[in-house]
Amino acid sequence: MIETVVRKRIEILADTPLAKRVTRAIDKVEISGWTILPVQSGSGRDGPWRDERVTGSDKSLILTIASEEKASLLSEELVPILSSHGLLLTMWDVEVVRGERF
Amino acid sequence: MDIAALQTFTSPVVLFFLLGLLAAVVRSDLAIPEAIAKGMSLYLMAAIGLKGGVAVSKSGLDATIITALAAGIAASFLLPFIAYAVLKTFGKLDRLNAGAVAAHYGSVSVVTYVTAVEIFELSAVPAAGFMVAVLAAMETPAILSGLLLAKGGSKNGDPEERGEMLREVFLNASVVLLLGSFAIGMVAGPSGFAEVSPFFEAGFKGVLCLFLLDMGLIAARRMMDSRAITWRLVVIAIALPLFNGALGVLAGTAIGLDVGSAAAFGVLCASASYIAVPAAMRLALPQADPGIYLTMSLSITFPFNILVNIGLLTALAKALGGMPL
Repeated sequence: MIETVVRKRIEILADTPLAKRVTRAIDKVEISGWTILPVQSGSGRDGPWRDERVTGSDKSLILTIASEEKASLLSEELVPILSSHGLLLTMWDVEVVRGERF
Repeated sequence: MDIAALQTFTSPVVLFFLLGLLAAVVRSDLAIPEAIAKGMSLYLMAAIGLKGGVAVSKSGLDATIITALAAGIAASFLLPFIAYAVLKTFGKLDRLNAGAVAAHYGSVSVVTYVTAVEIFELSAVPAAGFMVAVLAAMETPAILSGLLLAKGGSKNGDPEERGEMLREVFLNASVVLLLGSFAIGMVAGPSGFAEVSPFFEAGFKGVLCLFLLDMGLIAARRMMDSRAITWRLVVIAIALPLFNGALGVLAGTAIGLDVGSAAAFGVLCASASYIAVPAAMRLALPQADPGIYLTMSLSITFPFNILVNIGLLTALAKALGGMPL
């Protein structure tokens, strides 16, 4: 039986030009890694949006996995700019193997 | 109306743009993959930078080029102040959004310029090659003016963030590629360019057609999705290119540019950025609404310039230069 531990999986949807702002916050709270995924289109409070790389108005999904403590620190770091920077932050519990890495 | 204005509508480049607009309006699923669109924009910038550099390597640097560059930098820095005043008063925008929109109207649209060059050639008034350097020089000063207007000189944010923003302002992809390929064109000269010209010349108009098809699709879809645009902002997005463009043609003629280059300078002043500036504004002014600045510059001013204003500015430059219309 493989041993797993519970960690937080955090996803942040951000305009691509602002992705570095998010990854800097992840690095600041010493979470060991992150992944940026491209996304195609969607709709939110401000209406529909779609991938427009030419105008720089495309969005990215920044994915990271961390301990509950670090996830909480990251939330505190990002909550003040969620509205002003138009970010969407979600997190939930996941089971991971090699828990010491997160 | 000047024949140039009519020739606009027989150019395949413009007709592809109209096709894009139409396809979006009838809700066709026509789409160009974003990675290809981005690649085409890089190709177009590299090609016009190279061609401009080669032209200057033939003609050499002279006082006219230096004057045109200085006029371009001054225009890019000052035009946002006019736009800001109009956006705050008539447009009823707050300081932040007025500053962000104003930056777009001082900076330039590479694709509007490239389309204008095609139309100038149809009208037998080609623009000088060095106008590409003026185009590159006009990308950045407006961003600084817009930030100054929006923030009023206040310094907030951490140094790392400011550094990232300044990198975006001065070293964004458009500026690096335009100036870099311009320099390569100057160094390589006509003989060096001959080796790569099959790639950069033969495909240029075809790629421009496809790119404008995509821009037509994006412009119309963004307009249809728009929720933040008022009739006042629509009026400004049409009035500013008319006013700025006429001012540019007058200034270009006054500093001694030939008819094609004066018209090109007018087009540069009339155009609004939708590639370099939006990314810089998203970083520097994240609270400003992209639904306002992108819709105004891309969905209203850009089509207006392509379909109407380039022809009008060509006619004005011809009239001022004493040429028959």
